[in-house]
Parts: sequence; structure tokens; C-alpha cells
Amino acid sequence: MIIERARIKSNCEVAHNIWEMHYEAPNIADSYLGAGQFINILALDDWSHPLRRPMSIASAEDGCISIIYKIFGDVTKILASQKEGETVELMGPLGNTFSNWDNGTYPVLIGGGVGLAPILNLKKECAAKKVDHTMIIGAKSGNEHFIEHEPEENIYLTTDDGTIGDEGTVMEPLKRIIIENKNTYLFACGPEPMLHAVREFALKNNIPAQLSVESYMGCGFGLCQGCVIQRHNYEIRDDSYHQKYSLICLDGPVYEAGDISFG
Amino acid sequence: MKRGILVLADLKITIGSEVFQNPIWVASGTFGYGTEAPELVDVNRLGAIVTKSITRKPREGNPPPRIVETPSGMINSIGLANIGVKKYIQDMLPIYENLTTKIIVNIAGTDVQEYVEIMEMMESVSSVIAGYEINISCPNVKKGGMEFGVDCDMTAKLTEKLRILTERLLIMKLSPNVSDIVSIGLSAENAGADAVSAINTVVGMSIDAESGSSNIFTTYGGLSGPAIKPVGLAMVHKLYNKLSIPIIGMGGIVNTDDVVEYMMAGSTAVQVGTANYRDPGIGEDIIDSLDSFINQTNRKSATDLIGSVRTLS
Ligand SMILES: Cc1cc2nc3c(=O)[nH]c(=O)nc-3n(C[C@H](O)[C@H](O)[C@H](O)COP(=O)(O)O)c2cc1C
Repeated sequence: MIIERARIKSNCEVAHNIWEMHYEAPNIADSYLGAGQFINILALDDWSHPLRRPMSIASAEDGCISIIYKIFGDVTKILASQKEGETVELMGPLGNTFSNWDNGTYPVLIGGGVGLAPILNLKKECAAKKVDHTMIIGAKSGNEHFIEHEPEENIYLTTDDGTIGDEGTVMEPLKRIIIENKNTYLFACGPEPMLHAVREFALKNNIPAQLSVESYMGCGFGLCQGCVIQRHNYEIRDDSYHQKYSLICLDGPVYEAGDISFG
Repeated sequence: MKRGILVLADLKITIGSEVFQNPIWVASGTFGYGTEAPELVDVNRLGAIVTKSITRKPREGNPPPRIVETPSGMINSIGLANIGVKKYIQDMLPIYENLTTKIIVNIAGTDVQEYVEIMEMMESVSSVIAGYEINISCPNVKKGGMEFGVDCDMTAKLTEKLRILTERLLIMKLSPNVSDIVSIGLSAENAGADAVSAINTVVGMSIDAESGSSNIFTTYGGLSGPAIKPVGLAMVHKLYNKLSIPIIGMGGIVNTDDVVEYMMAGSTAVQVGTANYRDPGIGEDIIDSLDSFINQTNRKSATDLIGSVRTLS
């Protein structure tokens, strides 16, 4: 784990309320292991907001890392107000990575909302290793998308209101894709209802799937025990420890779908 | 980030029979068992590490969500997730042999018997630990230590029972969620405690206006961070005025000024809690700048600060 003062290289709105920030953070970029890992951002140096904000790494190359974030509260508003040249303190890289996407299966990458950050990243990693894959990205409406719907390139967009791509959720194209392709492996990141749906679908159809889950975090490196998710199969004992709950910051954020359950 | 090694001022403080290299400790629940700190932290520079509360049996803790940020603070309801005293003795005590900082083991229980059993187990093995901090004030567990923390007689009874079991430092950690913290502190003192520490977290609640639901699974949790500093200062000062044993102050400490204020209010040592989550090396930074503060203000030692606040009435 590294704490590094990073210079903002760019920060702009790429779609409605969705922003992309690039940081010059050579040390973190250097120790970055792969898609799924996150950084913990100190948006303000004062103590009005004591906790850092975990954000998935959307890219890491040439000494730079990027994040994609949606404005939904005070701290993300502060992030959006930050300008090129300013510096902020980042902690990272933290957490584990998506795995086994390059072992002969056909990866289907599924992102929803700002959960597309690690998915875009994984797409780059697939491309670099020449691993054939499909990507599905869901949003509420067309103005939240900043990539193109290109079925011929195996990139499918969905919107709840049908303004771009398939109308409905990521589940619609997903159902088609798993029929058209053999040996699929799902990799998903996004809001909990989406992960929930992907998980149910994967388990029911016996398709392997990895989910990257999001959580509020106190520290991001195991000290506070604040970011837990319930494991799916655990032995119920009145004296178990970390058998029922897994620490997302250390064990995750990426889990096999069958290993966790959503409340 | 530059962290100095050379400490010039006399930062040493004494509690009971233990001399601490400086008054900057890390608070229970904010530094694990003292063995998990990232490599970038030199834990041996700390005055002491107070470990995460251990209970008789391991505990999974509460369902999520367990934490939420609030203005200048956070609310937590971890529910005392911990490995239990047996595993603690097996796995953690041997690691402490290699540390030069002092270890204070924090203990929590649901009744007197549980505290006693834990203490007996701890005392039945040889170890380098310096003492115990007794959590009689965790607000997040059903039937938690809370009954002790709010009741003078129970506090006295528990302190007495534990006092018999150990010659090591015995520190009773007080809850701010009481009507009269001073009488509880006095009960601990009269029953033989070497020191009291204050404050544990303040009962708090956080609601999401948009969704209409509570942000913490257990509805109420413990508020910590800068938001509670004024509460901590007042309670430390009140305790200092009436108790003769040392007070270990905490609640919202994030920098040297905070430490100085807590010492002026009457703390002999302080604990840094929530701030560790943002930067686990913050204790070291504070030690360095406390050193400069003492030098620059022409004080001889950190102990000169204790209780030195000038009140205006
Ligand atoms: C996430 C979290 C977990 C905590 N766990 C414990 C604990 O196990 N035992 C205990 O005595 N205090 C525990 N505390 C309380 C702290 O030790 C400290 O009393 C309190 O947070 C006030 O200090 P601060 O404002 O510097 O954090 C915990 C605090 C936090 C934020």
C-alpha cells in the first residue's frame, strides 16, 4: 500500500453527471496489479470529511491512473470541482483483481452506472492479451453513456428508457450472448441490484461469474472492519470470526458470485 | 512524507509503574491488534498500541452497513468483531515479543464473569504486554458493556475483581453516554484502577433523507472523529478536576494542537483513533510535531502540559 500525493492531469464530465479524472501517480500506477483494484481518495485535506473515498481504478498506464465517478454527494461534488494541476492524496492500489479471464473462457464484461470503471479496464486487458470478449454497459438513460453502442464490435449498451441501445437492463443482451457463445465467464461491476441479478442468473444457469462489489470503507486496508459482505456458504456457529462476513477491502472487492450473498 | 526519528524534547510520561516513550497512543479498534499496520508505519515509535477489543469467544460482528461518514466524523457499529482471547493469545502475543512499543490489551465482555475469564487467561501465560484497557462502554453490542459503563457500583465491582487478577496497568475506558462521568471515574479509581481513558464513542444516528432509511444496520452507532472533540475535552477536564489517577484522553484527535489541548485539559496521554483510517502513520507525524511544539514553547517536557489550561472563571 502506497500513500502518494498525486497531481490531477485532467478532470472532465464525460456524460451527464459522470466524470473522469486522471492522476499522475507513478508509484501507485507502478504497483497496480489489474482491473478490480481501487484507490482510496482524500478529496479534502481538512477534516470535514474524515474518511477517504474508495474508487475503482479505470486505467493505469504511463505513471497515470484514472477513475470514473458519478456526482451523488458532497465529496463527489468536491472531486468534480478539482482542477488540473491541483494535488490530492491517494492511497492504493488496494484490493484484489478480476482473475481467470484469460484461461480459455469467453469473458462477458458487464458494467452498470459508474461500475463500468473496472470493466473498461478489464476490456483493455482482454484486448492487450487478445482475449475475445463481449462488453455490456447499462445506464438509466442515453445521456449517461459515453461510449458507443457497437454490436459489430461486441459492445452493447442498454438504457432503462431505450434512448440508446437495448431498452431495459444489461440482462437482456446478456441472455442472448450466453446463448450465442460457449464457455462464457461473467465479470460484473455496478449497483447492487444489477450484481444481484447477474449473480442469480449465473448461479441458475451454471455460468461462472465474478462480481466486484462496492462498499463504504473506513480505511481500505483492514483496520476498521467496516466494509463487510456476507458470505454465501458459512458455517453457522456462535463463535465464528470472518466466516460469516468477509472484509471487502482485503478479501475483495472481486468475489466469485457463489461465494457471497446480497442480504 | 518525512517522518523524523530524532526526538529532542522530553516526551516521556508515566502511568502507574510504566514509563511510556511519549504520550501518543493509538486507540482501540482503530489499529487492529497492532500487527496489521502497513509497512509504511513504524509502530515502535508510538507511545503505546491499544488493541481491538477482545472477547471470550470470537465474534463475527454486526451485519452491514457498519459505518457511515457524518460531518467531521463517522458512525460505526462494528459489533466487536474479533478473534477471541484464545486465538489472540496464540497468534498475537508471540508477535509482541518483537515490538518495542508498549501493548495495552483492550478487553470487552457482557458480564463480570466474561471479563474475569479473559483476564485470567491472559494472566496465565507469560507475555510482554504492559496492561489492560477495559472497555465498559461499547455502545454497539446488545447487552454490551454498557450496563457497567453507566453504573457506578458495577464499575467498582468489575474494577475490583480485575484488580485482584493483575499487577499490570489497569485502565478503565469510560463512556460519554452517561449523566455523570466523574462519579463513574471515581468508582474506578477507588476500586484500584491505575488510570481511566475517555472517551469512547458518542451514541449517534445517521439517516439518508432520499431513501428514508437508517445508514447503519443497528440504527444507532458510535460517533467518533473531530465532531466529538469538544465532548471529549470537557469530560477529560471534569475527570481531571476530581480524580487523582491519570487520565488518557481521546476523541477526535487529528493533529498536535488537539493533543496539546487534551493534555491541557488534564490528559497524561492521548489516543488517536479515527484519524488512523485516513493515515495510519498520523501518530508518528503527531509525535514529531509535538516534539517541536514543546521545544518552541520553551517547555521542558510534555508533562508540563498536563492540566495546564487556564479557565476563565
Ligand atoms: C470503527 C471503530 C471501532 C472501534 N472499536 C473499538 C473497540 O473495539 N473497543 C474500544 O474500546 N473502542 C473502540 N472504538 C472507540 C475508539 O477507541 C475511540 O474511543 C473513539 O473512536 C474516539 O476516538 P477518535 O475520535 O479519535 O476516533 C472504535 C472506534 C471506531 C471508529
